[in-house]
Order: sequence, then structure tokens, then C-alpha cells
Amino acid sequence: MAVWIIIIIILAVILGAVVAIYNGLIALIEAVRNNEKQIDIQLDRRFKVFESLINVVKNYMDYEKSTLKEVVALRQQAQTAKVQGDTAHAMAAEDKISGILSGLNVVFEQYPDLKANQNALQLQEEIVNTENKLAYSKQAYNDSVERYNAKKKSLLQSVIVSTFPSKLDFNFPYWNLGGPEKIKEREDYTVKM
Amino acid sequence: MANFSKNFKVQSTDWRQALKSNQRRTLIVIGVFILIYVLLGLLIDLFINAEKYPQVPLSVITQALITLHLIPYATLITTLVAIISLWVTYAFADKLMLLGTEYHEITAENSQNLSEKQLYNTVEEMKVAAGLRYMPKVFIIDADYMNAFASGYSEKSAMVAITRGLLEKLDRAEIQAVMAHELSHIRHMDIKLTLTASVLANLTLMIIDILFYGILFGQNRDGRSREGGNWLFIIILILRYLLPLITVLLMLFLSRTREYMADAGAVELTRDNEPLARALLKIQGDYDQNRLQYSTEYKQTPHEEVRRAAYIFDPTAAGLSAKQGGSDFFSTHPNIVKRLAAIGFKLK
Repeated sequence: MAVWIIIIIILAVILGAVVAIYNGLIALIEAVRNNEKQIDIQLDRRFKVFESLINVVKNYMDYEKSTLKEVVALRQQAQTAKVQGDTAHAMAAEDKISGILSGLNVVFEQYPDLKANQNALQLQEEIVNTENKLAYSKQAYNDSVERYNAKKKSLLQSVIVSTFPSKLDFNFPYWNLGGPEKIKEREDYTVKM
Repeated sequence: MANFSKNFKVQSTDWRQALKSNQRRTLIVIGVFILIYVLLGLLIDLFINAEKYPQVPLSVITQALITLHLIPYATLITTLVAIISLWVTYAFADKLMLLGTEYHEITAENSQNLSEKQLYNTVEEMKVAAGLRYMPKVFIIDADYMNAFASGYSEKSAMVAITRGLLEKLDRAEIQAVMAHELSHIRHMDIKLTLTASVLANLTLMIIDILFYGILFGQNRDGRSREGGNWLFIIILILRYLLPLITVLLMLFLSRTREYMADAGAVELTRDNEPLARALLKIQGDYDQNRLQYSTEYKQTPHEEVRRAAYIFDPTAAGLSAKQGGSDFFSTHPNIVKRLAAIGFKLK
């Protein structure tokens, strides 16, 4: 009787351990899969952010170009009117310039990112942030692959993995640059000013 | 940085090893806490049964309790009390940490300027690197001193806070390192751990007090005395004065262990140990320079003690003695020399 109870207890402990290991490995596998897709998410984000940044800058530059032309022309008008003694005309031209400048302020309000000298810094921050997120998502993916591989190859776990190979045994590749030429190319890259 | 190679022997950080060894230390500390607690419960049982069966020697009662021939009711009750108190604490412990400070929350939409935007971005980057499922809330505390802390362990309660002084004086990489340290506190569940330890410590002290007064006023009620009873009283008397010290030292050891782990975790996330070292040196240097002003500011902030263990830098312990590599036995944070050495910057 007592022997049976001991056997049953041992079996229950073994079963519990197997279930725990199995579930742990499944969690690690899903983490790897999620982190792999996180790279896609960050690539998608980069595409969208950079597209909209480019659009904002383009709009702003178009506007600035045409405004600048207009202001220069009005300035010319005012100058010639003044020389000719036509004060009313000169005043009108100056007023128009003021109008354009206040319009410019409105545009600045619409794009707070473009205000003052901060544009370049803001743009730089946005780019750095986006590229960092992409790099960190790759790092997180590799970290989760490492955790899974280390678990799967360790003792006891490896026994369970070989028992359920279709469910537990996957070979996730680490994210890498791919090929020695590519690595060499990136390594030799320097900024030329 | 030039002065790094002059003053420090620079190595890379083995963060895997650091995390592993400190995790082991944590397990030992928590194990000791639980052991003390259970032993205390058994002591009560021993005391009660010694009163009940005055003729039986203490060793026999002890044996009966351990082999469960006598059911240790007191141990069961104290265990139940501990479980309930822990559950209640976990459920209601959010929102304590910002007590007494002037703060405002930063989100992706409401960031006012470049540095606030940068702060939010760095936290988000570290969240991606950690594979955290939720974004912690980000707060700026309106204070001149340089400090930061984290709290919470779930989507609802996780937060990081940073003082304006820190935001203004650190560059992007350094802020990122500090945020990685804070985020590591969150993902290592340090707040939950500290809460658990402090609840167990407080209960331990309460129980030993109850036991002490119980034996003090309950003895010789019926005029009978026993030989073993005196031994029991002496043990309880010693424990009453020893346990508070032991629990405090254990808590501080735990806190320092978790700081080392958060530093290692920060290096794990950023894969770079230099910005963290730079940030720590800057915070220490800034504190040394403005010591008087900052200590009044800290003192004027109410409820500063709830944040002490959670800060990246403990202002109360940051003395010259700490800088000279003295003992940190009585502080929540390891001293800066040891922290830098642990992430690979050994003082020459």
C-alpha cells in the first residue's frame, strides 16, 4: 500500500515537472515569435514616420520658397514706390509683407516641430529614436532566441524537447547582417564629411 | 571619455553573470526571511505547549511539533496572516511613490520640448529592448537635484520618474542608461520583492513583541515555574533585541543586491556600460557640489523615505566615506566605487 502511494507521488511529481517544462518552453517560443514580428512593426513604423517627416519638410520648403519669392518682389515694389515718392503704394506693399509673415507664423503653429532653430534637432531626435527602436527590437529578438536555445539545450529540457519535437523543437536563426561581405562592408563604413 | 581611462581600468560588463549571482543572493535573503518567520511561529507553539504541558521537557515538545504529532496552530495562523497581508499589500501599494513631490506626466503627445520628448523616447526604446508588454508611465519631478526612481510591476502600476535636474544635466545616452536601470527595476519586480520583504519583516517584529509581552505578563500566573521556561524567556528576550537589527540588515542587503541587478540589467538593455558609469559619476559629482542645497531640498520634500530605496542614487548615504570605498553595510545602495567596479570600471 505504502509503496503504491510513494510510486503515485513520484509519478505525479514527474508529470508536474514535464508540464512545467513544456509550458515554459512554449512561452519562450511564443516570445521569440512575438519579438520577430516586433522587428516588422519597427520597420513599418520607420517607413511611416520617415514618409510623413519627408512630407512635412517638403511642404514647409515649398511654402518657404514661394513666400521668399513673394516677399522679395514686394520689397522691390516698396523700394521703387518709395524712390518714386509714391508713399501710399510703398505702405501697401509693406503691409502685404506683414500679412505674409503672420501667415508664416500660422504655418509654424501648424507644424510646431518646425518652430525656431529646433527643427534640425527635432528631426534628428525623431530619426535617432526610430533607428534605435529598430535596433533594440532586433536585440530583443536575439535575446529571446538565446533564452529559448539555452533552455532547450539544457538537461531535462532537452529530453522533453526530443519527446515532443514537432511542438517544442524549432531552429530560430539569430538576426544578423548575413554574409561576410555585408559585414565587411558595414565595418569599413566611415562618415566622409 | 578621456578621464575614464585615466582613473579607471575599463572592462566590459558580464551582465549575465551579475544577474545570476545576485538572483541567487535574493533567493537566500528571501529564504532566510521565511525561515525566521516560520521558526518564530514554531517558537510560539513551543511556548503555548510548554504552558499546557508543564511536565513534558521542551525537547520532547519540539520534536512533537516538528513531526506534526502536535499540530503547530500558531505557525499555521501566522502563515495565514502573512499570506493575507501580502495579498492586501500587493493590491493597494500603487500610487505611494510620488507622495509629496511636485510632478507631471509626460506622454507621446504632451511633451513640451525636445528634452521631454527625448525622455519619453528613451523610455520607449528601453521598453522595446526589454520586450516589456506595456509602457510604464513617465513622470518629471520638479526638483533641482539629480535622481530617478521606478515603481510598480504591472501595466496598471508601472512608472518611472525623473527629476528636472537630471533631465537637464544628462545627455541622451546617459538618460537612456538611467531609464534602462529604472526599467530593469520594473522588469525584475523589485518593488514587489521589497514589499514582500518589508511586510515579512514588520510581521516578524510584531510577533516577537507580542510573544515578549505575553511571556512577561503571563509568567507564573498560577505560581508554578518550570526549568525550561527560563530558557525560553531568555531566547525570546535575545530575539526581541536581535531581530530588528537582523531584519534591517537583511533588507539593506537585499536592496543593494537589487541595485547591482538593475545596473547589470541596464547594461543588458543598452549593451554599453559607459553611459551608465558617466551618469553615476555625474550624479555623484553634482551632489557633492550642491550638497547643502540638495539636502535641504530633500528634507523639505515630504515622504522622502518611501522613495529612498527606489532611487537610482541614495542621497542619505552618499557621503565622502562612501566615495573613499568605505563600508556600505548600512545603506540601501552600494557605494559608487563598488557600483562602477561591478559594471566594469575599476578604480585605478
